[in-house]
Amino acid sequence: MVNDADPITIDGSRGEGGGQVLRSALALSAVTGRPFRITRIRAGRRKSGLLRQHLTAVRAAAVACGATVEGATPGSGELSFEPGPPVRVEDRFSVGTAGSACLVFQTVLPILLVAPGRSRVVFEGGTHNPAAPTFEFLARAFLPIVRRMGAKVDATLERPGFFPAGGGRFVVEVAGGEPLRPLELETRGKVVGRRACVRVANLPDHVGERELRVLRSKLGWRDEEIGIERCDALGPGNVVSIEVEAERVAEVVTSFGALGVKAEVVSRRAVDGVRRYLAADAPVGEHLADQLLLPLALSRGGRFRTVAVTPHCSTNAAVIERFLPVAISFGDGGDGAVAVEVAPR
Amino acid sequence: MRTVVFGFLGTQLDSAPPGPKRWERWRPTVDLCRQDDLVVDRLELLSDARHADLARQVEADLRSVSPETEVRHRAVDLDDPWDFEEVYAALHDLARTLSLDPDEERLLVHITTGTHVAQICLFLLTESRHLPGRLLQTSPPKRADGRPGRYSIIDLDLSRYDRLAARFEDEHRESTAFLKAGIETRSAAFNRTMDRLERIATRSRAPILLTGPTGAGKSALARRIYELRRSRRLVDGPLVEVNCATLRGEQAMPALFGHTKGAFTGATTARAGLLKSADRGVLFLDEIAELGADEQAMLLRAIEERRFLPVGADREVESEFQLLAGTNRDLGAAVRDGRFREDLLARLDLWTFDLPALRDRREDLAPNLEYELRRVAEESGRRITMNREARDAFLRFAADPTATWDRNFRDLNAAVTRMATLATSGRIGSGEVDEEILRLRASWRSGVRPAGDDDGEARLRDALGDDRVEALDRFDRVQLADVLHVCAESATLSEAGRTLFAASRARRRSRNDADRLRKYLARFGLSFEAVSSRPAGRPAD
Repeated sequence: MVNDADPITIDGSRGEGGGQVLRSALALSAVTGRPFRITRIRAGRRKSGLLRQHLTAVRAAAVACGATVEGATPGSGELSFEPGPPVRVEDRFSVGTAGSACLVFQTVLPILLVAPGRSRVVFEGGTHNPAAPTFEFLARAFLPIVRRMGAKVDATLERPGFFPAGGGRFVVEVAGGEPLRPLELETRGKVVGRRACVRVANLPDHVGERELRVLRSKLGWRDEEIGIERCDALGPGNVVSIEVEAERVAEVVTSFGALGVKAEVVSRRAVDGVRRYLAADAPVGEHLADQLLLPLALSRGGRFRTVAVTPHCSTNAAVIERFLPVAISFGDGGDGAVAVEVAPR
Repeated sequence: MRTVVFGFLGTQLDSAPPGPKRWERWRPTVDLCRQDDLVVDRLELLSDARHADLARQVEADLRSVSPETEVRHRAVDLDDPWDFEEVYAALHDLARTLSLDPDEERLLVHITTGTHVAQICLFLLTESRHLPGRLLQTSPPKRADGRPGRYSIIDLDLSRYDRLAARFEDEHRESTAFLKAGIETRSAAFNRTMDRLERIATRSRAPILLTGPTGAGKSALARRIYELRRSRRLVDGPLVEVNCATLRGEQAMPALFGHTKGAFTGATTARAGLLKSADRGVLFLDEIAELGADEQAMLLRAIEERRFLPVGADREVESEFQLLAGTNRDLGAAVRDGRFREDLLARLDLWTFDLPALRDRREDLAPNLEYELRRVAEESGRRITMNREARDAFLRFAADPTATWDRNFRDLNAAVTRMATLATSGRIGSGEVDEEILRLRASWRSGVRPAGDDDGEARLRDALGDDRVEALDRFDRVQLADVLHVCAESATLSEAGRTLFAASRARRRSRNDADRLRKYLARFGLSFEAVSSRPAGRPAD
């Protein structure tokens, strides 16, 4: 029998080997009360150890459960985290270097969900970062499902933050302590809404207009389903996001404008992404699959079908199994889909 | 540990046209705070009033990209940011007002922004620890894609770099081998001493005191220390060697410190003196215990102030010399007996290296024998070999406790020289070794030199003591021995003078024989009274 007070030791270089292992461990440790120690953090990466965005996640998680932390310094390859009970939070967490504030949100949300009482947290930094969920993805794809599981959570974007200037800001309100219900998500249901949006900040007008033109010609959607939004951000920024809302699930596909990438290409990538999603039969996109594992594990069960299992997702599953008495299995979901099942063990 | 960065606002590099375009440019001050593995907790930003807008812009941008960073504006108003003295003074003042908690805060000195002069001043202040931190350098990204480029932290403590440390270790080994004249010595104590001496000799300009018995190799070592420093450009003047035992009486002061023309009788020309000759070089004072009280006082001042007063001069002269001193005496005891100044000893024995007697380094006999054989071969231009049997016999004897090696390496050196000279066709065999063993044993029993021994030698040793005789050239030795012989036979200085200068006298070339003799004796620190066996008579004028 494993003593619950024994710290769990995690090799941070295993599996996907990046910051996700750390973020999942932080959330799980806070929620379960099990201390953990992670070594070889991001050992294979060019800059190994903790980066600033990770440190903000550590701080946020520590605040949300009154944890004692050791090793939280830039470049540190080891961290130990001894959590206290989750508490409601009124705070602001900022990520420097325009790092993703959404990832920090993802780390603390599970803690806020179990902490009794109302929390109000301001997240600052990047809200639209490549290699991280964008704010739209969280607000339109992820949070609706979590709400359906019983969570009371709202997120409001105050200002988008793009690389490199950052300065984005969103507010999250959570009424914690509500138990989560298991989720079953086998099919999408009928598509009930579509929206394609070009977001531009501090860039010449032609950028957004060219992207818009491509969206119109490629998607063939009604005019009111395609729009442009000029944002008030600190620096330049540009994303194209396409949202498909079905009866039981929504997916948001995002493509990022960058120096040296033509506006037309940015739109085309988003269009290709959404076509791939619609062509597949599975309701859950690969990014959403990864993010749903933890809420499902907290609710002690559920299953869904997804398009593919990423290394991110399987690594995440392995970390979850270290902390919670659940078994996560990946099986054949039919029609090229993967069936993911989270079961108590 | 909090990170504090101290650096200039880059009036060129940090500035950018207003508007979002600035994010496409590399701006060192902003970008050093955008590194994802470096948190700048506090930025001490140096700028002048003319660039207040730029400083505010930088601060505003840092608020979004580096919320952890607190910006403190430091006003530096420079009339000429290219003026070394002004910039240094301004930075020196600022460095003094910079309060840092050494346990909680580490300082990085950003040198990418500011003029080259500012960069040099920052480097100097960091190197001298006025800015107690490390240098921080930032560089732009390969492409202007909004990424923050790179930074590197430069530690001026070079020992922290593994590859450099290995390099220094090689250099250190080479220099230590040089100090040991390439001899692979095995004595652990001796090797440790040389190891330490190498580090001191190449790092410090402070005096070094070499102690050890006669013949332990002090002079040779002093020469190698000098060569080592010269090869490292730590010294560019000459090596001036002097045996203090030869500096006695009236001529000691002028010899050491120089004199003006006409400073005393016989001073027909001015003389710079040994200390001045050693300017920018190395002065080796061997047998320093033999230095007189006045000379000690003057030397102390010369060491401390780098200036002294030549005899007869009314203005001091300066000399920047590095001092090496040698002695076989216990200077501590000499201080207690009142024969040596305590304050001078305190100056000298900052770094003391004791060279052990050869009998205490028997494990080094074999490598030193090889060295002596090579030396003799080089000096004689002949090939010198020693057969195995002979070598074993000699080393067996040499290592035996009954072999006392009274005069240390001088005995070994002389023994090898004699054997090589006697050996037919340069091959030293058992015969030469057996003969040499007898000769060495005899010399150690009698306590005198094995060759050139006679009454004159004994007289010299009585008058001057062993050490000073050792320091005499053979040329002087013969002459002085005869002079001493005459003095011993004469009742007065004048009588001795008449005997010694009889030939010149006969040709009426010499007027004052007594004065000539007195000066001659004084050169060796001797007086007629000291060497005459008869009751003292007044020297004639």
